Amino acid sequence: MAEHVTSARSGRTAKTLAWLPLIALAIFILTPQLSSLTYSFFRGDGSFTTEGLTGLADSGAIVAPLLRSLVIASLTVVVLIATLVPAVVAVHLWAPRLRPLLSILCTLPLVVPAIAIVAGLTTVLRGLASQGRGSLGMQVNTLLQSQDLPLVLVGTYVVLCLPFTYRSIDAALSTLPLRTLYESSSVLGAGMRTTLRRVVVPNIRGSVMFSAFFTFALSIAEYTVAATLSINTLPVYLNTLSSTNFRGSITLSVLLNLTTWLLLAAATLSASQFGQRAESAPEAEPDAQTDPAAASAAGLSPAAETAARAASPASAAPAAPDSPRKEAQTP
Amino acid sequence: MSTTAQTSAHAPRGDRASASDREPMSVRFQDVRKSYDSTEVLRDFSIDIEAGSMVSLLGPSGCGKTTTLRILAGFEEVNGGDVLVGGRSVLSLPPHRRDMGMVFQSYSLFPNLSVADNIEYGLRIRKVDAGARRRRTEELLEVCGLAGMGSRYPHQLSGGQQQRVALARALATQPTVLLLDEPLSALDAAVRSSLRDEIRRVQQALGTTTVFITHDQGEALAIADRVAVMNSGRIEQYDAPHSVYARPGTAFTARFVGSINEFAVSPAWAPGAPLPIAADGAEVVFIRPEDLAITPQEEGFLQVKGQTYTGERTMIRLGRPGEEDAPWSASLASAQAGTVPPGTRVSATVTADPALRLPRAEAGGAWA
Repeated sequence: MAEHVTSARSGRTAKTLAWLPLIALAIFILTPQLSSLTYSFFRGDGSFTTEGLTGLADSGAIVAPLLRSLVIASLTVVVLIATLVPAVVAVHLWAPRLRPLLSILCTLPLVVPAIAIVAGLTTVLRGLASQGRGSLGMQVNTLLQSQDLPLVLVGTYVVLCLPFTYRSIDAALSTLPLRTLYESSSVLGAGMRTTLRRVVVPNIRGSVMFSAFFTFALSIAEYTVAATLSINTLPVYLNTLSSTNFRGSITLSVLLNLTTWLLLAAATLSASQFGQRAESAPEAEPDAQTDPAAASAAGLSPAAETAARAASPASAAPAAPDSPRKEAQTP
Repeated sequence: MSTTAQTSAHAPRGDRASASDREPMSVRFQDVRKSYDSTEVLRDFSIDIEAGSMVSLLGPSGCGKTTTLRILAGFEEVNGGDVLVGGRSVLSLPPHRRDMGMVFQSYSLFPNLSVADNIEYGLRIRKVDAGARRRRTEELLEVCGLAGMGSRYPHQLSGGQQQRVALARALATQPTVLLLDEPLSALDAAVRSSLRDEIRRVQQALGTTTVFITHDQGEALAIADRVAVMNSGRIEQYDAPHSVYARPGTAFTARFVGSINEFAVSPAWAPGAPLPIAADGAEVVFIRPEDLAITPQEEGFLQVKGQTYTGERTMIRLGRPGEEDAPWSASLASAQAGTVPPGTRVSATVTADPALRLPRAEAGGAWA
């Protein structure tokens, strides 16, 4: 009897201990955020202020970088999905032997630091520019680095997102009987585009959604590449702002962080939700393997991980089952 | 007045009927050659499939039957020869322009679409309007025994039901040719035979030219108007099912379709004469087990080695006395199987013309 109690107690202790690293991690991540948030809205003497926010709105200088970042992020999502999905499908269907190669190619950006990519890019761009005023190289250079629509960033972000999005889409496709689906669809009169739209994409919806959210989050918050190429995106503006309106820059960073977190949480959620829906279908498990991809993605940015983990204990809190019991005891 | 009403009432149905009464099309393979790397899969393969008929391609795995079907569907290119549907070459057309229907062994329904949407898929691509699509789908659900299941999803259906949906989906567009790639192989025995009969019924009702691929000879014989027995890229025999069974054209067909007994005999031997079992005759006769009558006899030249009960009939396995092998078999009504328990010496006579009689040199197999 006593032993039972001890073992039960030690089990409970172990459970509590298991939460410790998580709590520590949460503190580690949340503390700077909370202090940023506090700093944004409270002066040193403790009085409430919105001058951070109003300062941002008043100057109006935020509009251009914000729009630029939104356009870049959206375009990156479109380009990534529109090229990656058909490419992975094509490799699965017609060149399965190239799969390892594609996998390595798509993973490479992970091992090359962003700063190295920029260094390479700068060299190429400088090479183009060195062809002189009015030359084709110069025109390409200008086109790529245009402040209105810096295509060079779109391209770079597509590449930077590949390791995560490729894994997710490749895993989802592997769980589909892609060949027979494609063949059934062809015999019924569908060309490749129709097959992609009506059959393939709907069956890997979860991982496509994940890829879209993830790409958007990464490209709207990316700093290194944009700053090095001196393109004034939102994160770059935020950094500039810190010298003139420090409180404003902190407020902005909190907002940006929040947006990114929400996007990554949406990515994780959409992946797992569609995965769950598919699990109820024994034949159709398009996204069963999306979760590991989501987890690895979270590894890049601790934000998603925390968001995902923070969400689960909260929703699992036994508050709801408790209340009826209390009600029962009242009379 | 009444005539007008009648006409208008008939209009939609007439429309539909004319669509499903589409002229059936013949299929012809002309000296088709196909090889993968250095392996020849089809060698001067030719076959004529009559419009509206159902043909089984029957053969062991690797005989080229699946390749034949995939060439017809447009998934494989040929190295030579021509493939004609309704008299026109289809080789230059990609799969999605060939207007065929195909049912796969693995069902291959679109998991994201409901049963009705699966069936409508081909019609949607052909931009058939919603009303006509719905009517056609209802009709096919009915025909394929799926009434009321239109809103379900593939994962909610049994294997047999999924394959019915696949059949309905393939038929929805009124294909010129229906291709069935071992559609029953993934199903269990009971469902298999009922769906087999159903496929045949639907095919006959619609009159669609159909090619049915199988490695199961029972299936091939039961379902088709004609059976093409294939072996290493060639047609061994192309004939009505009963002819393929009763009058096999080659030793391969004789051995592949049904079970068969082989005896070496002298050229003078005729049915009714005693069967020699010496292995030195100049000719080989192929005899079906049901054509071999056995009677217990102490001096009999055969010995019963065992019995296999199959219900109505029992297979009696026979061999030479004193040997373990049982190279022959006789089929007996199960009620009589008790008269020849294992170990019994028996004599055997042939009660019908042999299915096939070949010079020993051509018999191949163990005789080579």
